[in-house]
Amino acid sequence: MSAGFHMEDEAHQKAYDAKLMRRLMGYVKPYTAWFSVAVVLLFVASIIGNFTPLIVMKAIDTHVNNPVRMEKELSIRNAPTTDRAALAELEELKRQDRRGLFNLMMLICLMMLAESVFRYVQMIVVAWIGQKTMFEMRMKIFSHLQNMSLRFLDKNPLGRLMTRVTNDVEKVQATIVAGVEQTISDMFTIVVVVIFMLWTNWQIAAIVLSTIPFVFITGVIFRKFARKSYLEVRRKVARLNAYMQEMVSGMRVVQVFRQEARCFGQFREINAEHRDEWFRQIRNFAIYYPIVDFLGTLALTLIIFYHGWDVLGRQASGENMVQVGLFFAYLQWAERLYGPIRALTDRYNVLLEAMASSERIFTLLDTPEDIPNKPNGVKPKALQGRVEFRDVWFGYDAEHPVLKGINLTIEPGERIAIVGHTGAGKTTFINLLGRFYDIQRGSILVDGVDVRDYDKTELRRRIGIVLQDVFLFSGSIKSNISLNSPGITDETIRECAAHVNAAPFIESLPEQYEFAVGERGGNLSTGQRQLLAFARALAHDPQILILDEATSSVDTATEALIQDAILKLMDERTSIVIAHRLSTVQHADRIVVMHHGEIREVGTHQELLAHRGLYYTLYRLQYKDQSEAA
Amino acid sequence: MNFVVPPARIGRPFITLLRYNRRFWKAYAFGLALATFFSLVNLAMPMVLGHMVDLFNSRALNRPMLTAYCGALIGLGVITGIARYFERTLIIGASRRFEFDLRNDYFLAVQSQSREFFTRTPTGEILARASNDIAYVRELIGPGMMGTVDMLRLPFTLAVMVYYSAHLTLVACMPLPLVSILVYLFISYINKQSQKVQDQFGVVTTRVQENLAGARVVQAYGIGDVETAAFAKESEIYMREGVKLSVVMSFAWPVIGMMVGAVMLLVVWRGGDMVLNGEYITRLKWTADGIGFTSVKFTLGDFTAFLACLLLLAWPLAEFGWVMTLYQRGAVSMKRIAEYMAHIPDIRDTEKTDFSIANVKGSIEFVDVSLRYDGRTALKNVSFKVEAGETIAIVGATGSGKTSIVSLLTREYDPSEGTVQIDGTDARTIPLQTLRGSIAYVPQDTFLFSDTIRANLTFGRPDADQAETDHAADVAQLTETIDSFPERYETLLGERGVNLSGGQKQRLAIARAVVLDAPILVLDDALSSVDTHTEELILQRLKSVMAQRTSIIISHRVSTVRHADQILLLENGEIVERGTHDELIARGGHYAEMHERQLLEEELETTA
Repeated sequence: MSAGFHMEDEAHQKAYDAKLMRRLMGYVKPYTAWFSVAVVLLFVASIIGNFTPLIVMKAIDTHVNNPVRMEKELSIRNAPTTDRAALAELEELKRQDRRGLFNLMMLICLMMLAESVFRYVQMIVVAWIGQKTMFEMRMKIFSHLQNMSLRFLDKNPLGRLMTRVTNDVEKVQATIVAGVEQTISDMFTIVVVVIFMLWTNWQIAAIVLSTIPFVFITGVIFRKFARKSYLEVRRKVARLNAYMQEMVSGMRVVQVFRQEARCFGQFREINAEHRDEWFRQIRNFAIYYPIVDFLGTLALTLIIFYHGWDVLGRQASGENMVQVGLFFAYLQWAERLYGPIRALTDRYNVLLEAMASSERIFTLLDTPEDIPNKPNGVKPKALQGRVEFRDVWFGYDAEHPVLKGINLTIEPGERIAIVGHTGAGKTTFINLLGRFYDIQRGSILVDGVDVRDYDKTELRRRIGIVLQDVFLFSGSIKSNISLNSPGITDETIRECAAHVNAAPFIESLPEQYEFAVGERGGNLSTGQRQLLAFARALAHDPQILILDEATSSVDTATEALIQDAILKLMDERTSIVIAHRLSTVQHADRIVVMHHGEIREVGTHQELLAHRGLYYTLYRLQYKDQSEAA
Repeated sequence: MNFVVPPARIGRPFITLLRYNRRFWKAYAFGLALATFFSLVNLAMPMVLGHMVDLFNSRALNRPMLTAYCGALIGLGVITGIARYFERTLIIGASRRFEFDLRNDYFLAVQSQSREFFTRTPTGEILARASNDIAYVRELIGPGMMGTVDMLRLPFTLAVMVYYSAHLTLVACMPLPLVSILVYLFISYINKQSQKVQDQFGVVTTRVQENLAGARVVQAYGIGDVETAAFAKESEIYMREGVKLSVVMSFAWPVIGMMVGAVMLLVVWRGGDMVLNGEYITRLKWTADGIGFTSVKFTLGDFTAFLACLLLLAWPLAEFGWVMTLYQRGAVSMKRIAEYMAHIPDIRDTEKTDFSIANVKGSIEFVDVSLRYDGRTALKNVSFKVEAGETIAIVGATGSGKTSIVSLLTREYDPSEGTVQIDGTDARTIPLQTLRGSIAYVPQDTFLFSDTIRANLTFGRPDADQAETDHAADVAQLTETIDSFPERYETLLGERGVNLSGGQKQRLAIARAVVLDAPILVLDDALSSVDTHTEELILQRLKSVMAQRTSIIISHRVSTVRHADQILLLENGEIVERGTHDELIARGGHYAEMHERQLLEEELETTA
């Protein structure tokens, strides 16, 4: 078990793809107006938010540490005698400063409130847009999947398709909608902060800004290392999961062949590689974060040094005092500048990952329906029920035909039993009528119209199909019969259930028609599931019934109920049944014997028995026991 | 090293975590020491700053001193950076080592479980705990610990703030009760709402899953649009709950921002007043004769230092909520992992095991064996005996209990009543590894690994040489298949490689068993996907292999079993007929009927 382990959707990153991005943005487009509102709110909030350090600065430098007042205090303290006038003047200055401080603080209060409100509204708008686009994308994928053929669904693992609807959409929303907004926000913050910094004191601004290229360069270098390592980590995680999955699924083989120790050894190795890759990644981070932090410290020290040097120079001429507020303003601005720059470099990786998700989604959406619906396909109100197969050739792949030149006409109301050995092509035969596959040659007509000319959904609605393996949805008994189709009333449901002998068991259940059916009908017996499927078919009142009788054995009492129900179902409608029950073949108007993809014999039970051909052998093989038991 | 989690500890995740991390205590202790050092160094910054401002204002500062101070600040920055590097590599590194250990032990624990565990536990659940839950526990240890250590700064910083002014510290703390109430309310609401969103996500996922799984019904009844509408409804609820969550989460952001702002505001306002008024405060003072209190003026420098401290405080406070989430989530995950790790497999070597048994000759005897599981009876009073070297065949309908007999032999289950004896001793006393090592088993449903043909073929005996491998492939009629691939034995199987047909897979499984060269060979319906002609060839080749071994052949085809020394016919878990092929045909019972039916089937198949 060296190579080979992999996971679908493995660590996958795409290069930035502008076309993909544009397509994604198409989903946000209907909300352009709201998005613009959010961006405007963001701009305003950012301006207000970055303006507050300036006010704090003013508060400290002009009021708390008012140079004029400080001079006065110094001169009073240094004066040999107490100057009452000067003292009064100082008190007046203090009073003014206190009032000034109070006013500025109130202003800050208001501004913070305003900023919060703007930001709050903006965040909600963005979240709403994100959820809304996610909803639409999800619906689009879901309804697209409704149109995909069984062939497609059989080929693509269910889990993979589910991931598209759930996780991939989530990832796209989280990183692209939110990501775009945050990127705009970050870039704007950077611009605003730089402007404020330059406006306040361009020399100090230049000092702070001089460190930015270093932050940026370390970011780029780090990203290069981290990204490589990150992809490697993802690959290792995928391998770890894949190995684990394979082991759990094949645990029986591992244990019976007592390879536990060897498999653990391999697991341990993969696990160790995973750990060591993380060690590398940890080292990257452990170097990067301190460097960025240090650059911050460097910038602050430079501010202190420059400002100190400057003030000391001016102090010599006895004029100026230190500006603590200025320092704090730059301290805050620097923080607000570093954050977004760091975030911008970090976000890029996540964006690329989301690109991969969106590409997978679009690939799915771009897969065309392989059983296309004709524009203006026939939408029948009701069907007569006449079915005609004309020289039908079909194979799941072109080289291996399963049906070879089938010709058969079924009159409205006729009951047809199809019999044949395993692999004779019976199931394929019934799959074609509902147009679950398209045939390679010949034509299939329903009421004289080619099935390819119908609207496939409308056609299928008029054909009732009951399969061997009854699929039940988790939900109530009621919803499993009606399938929530509009127009099927509770009364119809009850009547249908009663007609096909399902009512007695349903009514014995705790909540009767509201009884919660477990996943795949796990809490019902095979026979009960069968009866439920009959009720379902009957409730939809098809003009053509297709039934694949289940072979699984049920108890005698239930068997009798099922037999009776099948005969009732076949009544008064064209029915095609893959028969396993003697009673079904006996009641059929005609029996069609299929063998190796061809129709070999057609006739009634007695005729075919007398003929002593294939049917006779089949009869002895499959139905004789039943006649003996009966 | 393999830690076993005692069942009593499942509910106490932190004890388990402590036990696990004991071996990394040095890394944690050192990391903690560094973090403490780092916090102290960090606090030096505001103090130096405050001191400088005071020196400025009293005009005691000159340019050489300024340069020295700034140099000191940069020096502190460098030291901090280095400390940070080691702190991170030590603590996060240890968490990755811990993760490695935990994952290994989890794997071992899962591997030691028996069938009973695997039938009861969905594969997805086992995998989810291995990936998500282990990751969450790792986050508790790594980033969680880093966050906790970061919070150490809190008391130090507070101490320094009190040193500058107890009064102002009190003012700064004024909004704290309000903040904690708000944070508490937010967190509990957010948790509740997140749960709702997660649950609804589950509903949406289930909807998709059922829709796709039931695609046949959906399409047959043409209810795609009904399904879409139902899906839209659930999706919309999901969307609404998501928006609701954002509304509150977004609210938390400005509120907490405002609170931090409010603290700043209060400090600037009140502190500014204090400086303005030249208020006096009491402060600890180191003097020649010990520590004492003195009354000093609150200066601009003090004010500056205090404000800088406040800025330092903001980060660990913001981290607090995040760290709490890590702890909460990690603890829940640890419980989930421990649940499996504490599960003691019902089949294992016990004190009854006789480890002196190193090999098995191959005689098998079932004495009055009954087997019940999942509340149903699989076998009822089954008794039979096979001498070493003999071949026994078991036939019967699906669900009649054929495979159960094999499962008892390989001890995937233990009998509910009676005993299974091998070489005359109870199978339960034979070491599990010895027992399984003596059985070459071809299971009913073939499981192959996504690996090369060679790795699969020699799965049970990786040391098999080329001749042995070729021989096994030949017996299983697989040589031709292998030769048809350009990379022969190195051909990769599975999703990324070649997909073998059912018959090819079965033949590979047969070769995998043949290469084992074990005293007992079990073929559990192993030729069902192989056509009759190939079957005959394989049986022919197997003859020589089977001649030296005890063989158990399970089949529903008479042609496969007719040459067996003894044939058992099972019905509903009971042996209803036994004897050789000729005896059973002569008796004219169910076996004879089966035989007749198969002759008919053959007749059908040969009809062109």
